[in-house]
Amino acid sequence: MIRFEKVVKKYNYQDKAAVDNLDLHINKGEICMLVGPSGCGKTTTMKMINKLIKATTGKIYINEMDIEKVDPIKLRLDIGYVIQDTGLFPHMTIAENIATVPMEKGWDRNKIRHRVDELLELMELDPEIYRDKKPKDLSGGQRQRVGVARALAADPPIMLMDEPFGALDPITRGKLQDEFLRLQEKIGKTIVFVTHDMDEAIKMGDKIAVMRDGKLVQFGTPNEILSNPADEFVSELIGGNGSLKIMNLIKCKDIMRSIPNIDVDNSVDEAMKLLLKLGVRNILVTDKGQGLLGYVNYDSLANHKATLKELLKPIGETVTPKTTLQDTLSKMFSLGRKTVFVSGSRGRVDGIITMDDLLKAVSDNDQSSDIIA
Amino acid sequence: MTKAQTSSLRLRDVLSILFIISIGVAFSIYVVQYPQDRIVERFISYSKIINAILQHLYIVAISSALALLTSVPLGIILTRPRFKKYSTKVLTVVNIGQTIPSLAIVALFVGFLGIGSKTAILALWIYSLLPILNNTLVGILSVEPSVIEAARGMGMPTKRILYKIELPLALPIIIAGIRTAVTINIGTAILAAFVGGGGLGDLIISGNNVSRWQILMLGATLPALMAILADIVFGVVERRTII
Ligand SMILES: Nc1ncnc2c1ncn2[C@@H]1O[C@H](COP(=O)(O)OP(=O)(O)O)[C@@H](O)[C@H]1O
Ligand SMILES: [Mg+2]
Repeated sequence: MIRFEKVVKKYNYQDKAAVDNLDLHINKGEICMLVGPSGCGKTTTMKMINKLIKATTGKIYINEMDIEKVDPIKLRLDIGYVIQDTGLFPHMTIAENIATVPMEKGWDRNKIRHRVDELLELMELDPEIYRDKKPKDLSGGQRQRVGVARALAADPPIMLMDEPFGALDPITRGKLQDEFLRLQEKIGKTIVFVTHDMDEAIKMGDKIAVMRDGKLVQFGTPNEILSNPADEFVSELIGGNGSLKIMNLIKCKDIMRSIPNIDVDNSVDEAMKLLLKLGVRNILVTDKGQGLLGYVNYDSLANHKATLKELLKPIGETVTPKTTLQDTLSKMFSLGRKTVFVSGSRGRVDGIITMDDLLKAVSDNDQSSDIIA
Repeated sequence: MTKAQTSSLRLRDVLSILFIISIGVAFSIYVVQYPQDRIVERFISYSKIINAILQHLYIVAISSALALLTSVPLGIILTRPRFKKYSTKVLTVVNIGQTIPSLAIVALFVGFLGIGSKTAILALWIYSLLPILNNTLVGILSVEPSVIEAARGMGMPTKRILYKIELPLALPIIIAGIRTAVTINIGTAILAAFVGGGGLGDLIISGNNVSRWQILMLGATLPALMAILADIVFGVVERRTII
C-alpha cells in the first residue's frame, strides 16, 4: 500500500540525512509503528507520505502510484492526519472541526451532519453534548478523540498519526489505545503511527519499524522484534523482560488447546480411552439435561476406581479468548491453579491453557531467553 | 463566561455610551443656549458644532479605513512563508515609527502637500498604519503552528487556511489594533485644523483667538468624548470576536 524506495531527506545540503536511504513497505490494513528515539527521523518519514515534506531523493508509492505525480491537496484529502497537539481549530465547534475534510470535499450539509454525529458516537462522545462545544471545553483525552474523528471524517484509506497519545496521562493513553485498536478492527485502515515508546509500538503495531539516526534498524512484527532484536540498540529500546512483553502480545485464542467432552454416564475406562486416543490430559464432562458439569483429568482417572461423577472438578473462573497470556498467568497465580479454561460467549468452554502452554509459547518465541528452559 | 455576565457587561457598555453622549450633548447645549456674551453667540451654533463633528469624523473615518486597507494586506503578505523572515524586522521598524510624534508627521506632510484636509488625512493614515500592521503581524504569527500544520496536513489549500483559520484567529488582535488606531486618530485629527483641514480643532483655534473658554473647551472635550466612545464600541466588538 505504501512503499518507500531508497528515500533520503536532507534538510540542508551539507547536513547529514534526517532520513537515510529508507526502504519500507507498509501493507494494506496494517498498523505500522515508526519507533525510535527523538530526532531519529520518524516525523520526517511520516510527513513525506502526505508531502508535507518533500523527499530529497528516492520514491514513495501509494498503491503503486508515485506520489510525486499526485497533487498534494488531493493526496492529503485522502489521508487522515492526527498530531500530538491535536491541531484542533480553537475558533470552530467540535462539529465544524470534524467536518473539515468533508467540507473541503464539498459534501452536502446533511451528509456532513450525519457523518459528524456518527463519528462522535464512534468516539464515545455524545453528539448532543459535544457537537457545539469548542475544543477548549474538552479534556485532553476528548480532544484527542476529536482529532481522530476529524482524521476519519471522509473515511480515508490511510491514516498518519504522529504521537497521537503522547501528551496524555498513562491511564487515558491506555484507554485511548484500547479504544483505537477496537476501532481499527472495524475500520481496517492502513496506519502509519509514530511513537518513541516501544511499549506502545508493541501494543499497537502489526509491524514495527525501528529507526535510528534516520536509518531503518529493524522491521518486523512485534513478536519478531521482541524475540530477535537486531542489535544492542533494539534490545535497549525494548528494555528488560522481553519474554514478559511477548506474553502481552499473545492472546489465549492463539495458543489454547481444544478440549473434548464426554457424557457423565460413561465409565471412567471409556473416558480414559478417549483421553489416550486424543492424546490430551483433560476432558469436559457434560450431562444431556444440565449441560457442562465440570472436568476430569488424566491423573485423577489413573489413580481412582470410581464413577466420573465422583471425580468431577468444577470449571472455576475462566479467561476469554482475547485475554493476554500475561493476564492468564496472573489469573493462574491468583487461583493457585496450573490450568485455566477459556470461555467465550454465553459460558461455553472453548479451550484450555496450562502453565506449560504459557511457558512454551514464550520460549518458542524467545530463543535468547534461558529463564524458561 | 456565562450568559448573565455577558448581558450585564453589554448593559454596562450601553449605559457608558449613553452617559458619554449625554455629557457631550449637555455641554454643547450649555455653550449654545447660555452664551457668555455676543462674541460667543456669534462664534458658536448647533450647526457649527455638528459640522465640525462631521468633518472630524470624515477625516478619522477615511484615514482609518485607508490604514485598514493597507495594513491588513501588508500584514498578511509579511506573514507568508516567503516574506516571514522580514516580519520581525518590520515589526521593529513599525514600533520605532510609532514613537514619532504625530505633530511631526503632520508638519512633514504640509511640507510637500500644502494645507487642506488631504494633508491631514494622509498624515493620519500613515500614523495609524502602524498599530494595525503591528497587530495583524502579531495576530497571525501567534496562531499555533500545530493548528496550521493540521490544516495543511488535512489538505486545506493555503488560501483557505488564511481565510478560515489564520484571519479568524487573528481577528480579535487585529480589531484591538484598529481600536488603538481609531482612538488615536480621533485625538490627532484635532491637528487637522492647524493645516486647514477643519474638524473640531477649529473650535479650539476660534476659542483661542477670541479668548472664550467655552468654545475652546468644547473643541477639546468633544474629541476626548468621541475617543472614549470609540474605545468602548471597539472594545465590545473585540470582546465578541474572542473565542
Ligand atoms: N524543518 C526542519 N529543518 C531542519 N532540520 C529538521 C527539520 N525538521 C526536523 N529536522 C531534523 O531532522 C531530524 C529528524 O527529525 P524528526 O523527523 O522530527 O525526528 P523524530 O520525529 O523522530 O523526533 C532531527 O535531527 C531534526 O533536528
Ligand atoms: Mg517527531
